Amino acid sequence: MEKILEVKDLNISFHTFSGEVKAIRGISFDLFKGETLAIVGESGSGKSVTTKAIMRLLPEHNSEIKGGEILFDGKDLTKLHDKQMQKIRGHDISMIFQDPMTSLNPTMKIGNQIMEPLIKHQNMSKHAAKERAIELLKLVGIPKPEIRVNQYPHQFSGGMRQRVVIAIALACNPKILIADEPTTALDVTIQAQILELMKDLQKKIDTSIIFITHDLGVVANVADRVAVMYGGKIVEIGTADEIFYNPQHPYTWGLISSMPDMDTDDEELYSIPGTPPDLLDPPKGDAFAPRNPYVMKIDLEQEPPFFKVSDTHYAATWLLHPDAPKVEPPEAVKRRQNQYVGTKGGK
Amino acid sequence: MAEKQKLLEIKNLKQYFNVGKPNEVRAVDNVSFDIYKGEVMGLVGESGCGKSTTGRTIIRLYNATGGEVLYDGVNVHGKKSKRQLKDFNRKMQMIFQDPYASLNPRLKIADVIAEGIDIHGLAKSKQERMERVYELLETVGLNKEHANRYPHEFSGGQRQRIGIARALAVQPEFIIADEPISALDVSIQAQVVNLMKQLQKEKQLTYLFIAHDLSMVKYISDRIGVMYFGKMVELAPADELYKNPLHPYTQSLLSAIPSPDPISERTRKRRNYDPASHHYEDNEPIEFREVTPGHFVLCSEKEYKLYQAQSR
Repeated sequence: MEKILEVKDLNISFHTFSGEVKAIRGISFDLFKGETLAIVGESGSGKSVTTKAIMRLLPEHNSEIKGGEILFDGKDLTKLHDKQMQKIRGHDISMIFQDPMTSLNPTMKIGNQIMEPLIKHQNMSKHAAKERAIELLKLVGIPKPEIRVNQYPHQFSGGMRQRVVIAIALACNPKILIADEPTTALDVTIQAQILELMKDLQKKIDTSIIFITHDLGVVANVADRVAVMYGGKIVEIGTADEIFYNPQHPYTWGLISSMPDMDTDDEELYSIPGTPPDLLDPPKGDAFAPRNPYVMKIDLEQEPPFFKVSDTHYAATWLLHPDAPKVEPPEAVKRRQNQYVGTKGGK
Repeated sequence: MAEKQKLLEIKNLKQYFNVGKPNEVRAVDNVSFDIYKGEVMGLVGESGCGKSTTGRTIIRLYNATGGEVLYDGVNVHGKKSKRQLKDFNRKMQMIFQDPYASLNPRLKIADVIAEGIDIHGLAKSKQERMERVYELLETVGLNKEHANRYPHEFSGGQRQRIGIARALAVQPEFIIADEPISALDVSIQAQVVNLMKQLQKEKQLTYLFIAHDLSMVKYISDRIGVMYFGKMVELAPADELYKNPLHPYTQSLLSAIPSPDPISERTRKRRNYDPASHHYEDNEPIEFREVTPGHFVLCSEKEYKLYQAQSR
């Protein structure tokens, strides 16, 4: 498969009054053409910071890319000038934000907001851009686009506004679409519609999507591959099936068992004890060690490298080391593993 | 539970806003259901369907436009002396959705929690009051030292625990939890839900659990009510509702929840709900009918027969 984006050993810090917050501590991943990569993790794990770094939207006064590369189209995005970046942003890479209520300009007609990238990036005439805007509104499923194009954001409901935001993001047929919790603020029924729409559009224009969310149900619905982040690092990455049915990292185990599925009955939900690490002073070994029920001595001393589970599946936990003792994953995870073996013959 | 005892009876509850004006909103329109002692009743629906308004009207944060809420046989609404109201307020408490907005930022945690204790005069001395606060903090998994801090020093999950401690302070029998976990991270959600479940067992509480996260609602609830546009369209025991949803809106809602399971997600078929699909005639009585014992659906006579045949 063709790589469209490569992130290599990215390190990002924020300078605050209390010191340097090491928000991203060396992450690497690839994004392939036409795939959806979901990034999951709790708040503060660094998922939004990663995508903002790709878009170069981090505040300049207090953030710093300490090292690493973001390769797109042979260019390192971290080294581009503002002017060069403006050409890419909204054209090759665009973004859908979490809150449709605040990501549109309330004083501009939505038609003009959709036309903006078309006129700026594709040198379209106003007339042509407007026609394209109507086309885009139709594409994202807004009824009566000829009338709606002249309306203001407050005349749209939350779900409809998110569709407009998607229309803007898709205006220039971007190669990469970054969706930062695009459905978190929406109702389940509307969420289902938006997810379907995104999958549909992806097929039509062959975009790669980076999808950030903390809802594992949504991940299962949209993702081809999943990266799990914890404490500013990727701790496990693999295909959706590998992460959901054969997870290896204790943090992924915790995440999966803390969500009730339709079969969970009276047993107590598993909850990950403790709190996320303080990235002002990141722990020496595995950042998850203090909350890890399977903690070993080495976890506290040395950071685990990535161990290969399969060609597509890697996890950073010492439990995968050949010398590590065999441990039993939680009940919910075992049930999933069995189910997987049952349906797919173990693969 | 052999004989279930009704704790709360909600009869034809109506809550209209802007009555008589062109923009009249029927947020809750003729809703009736019972809540039994010691059970968890879940209430689901999309935003704007009136589930929060139902909760808030039950606890009399709004005065009902019509209908009755009977708590242990006594009407909550209607004319009440301050004393009587105070009694009700002690029995019923509420946990709010947003742990950031529901704690007074200028009060110390001890005072946030003890406010109810003070109002109802539940502590005889300062010392007893503080002991009670410490005890409550420990119940919800925080510790003594937290009593002298301010809300901004806590994370979302911790704040929600404080909200729970505050609700428990007056030893209520019935707690309305209005989306208590929606604002929290997944891993923290499990902690709060476990805590609520454990407290329910220890203190024999009754909950009305309002949420839009259906998998969590199914996990915690004994029975679930589904609301749509101010009306309750289906009410059934939790398992029954998921196995045999009858009303087309419930079916559409269930088909919209993504489950953390890629294999089943790939084959998922989503169903849309169109209110016109019922083809009701003009004067057809649409009522809340009991299709199988404990399973109620809002339907016409014709649909009722159809549903009964389906459930056999």
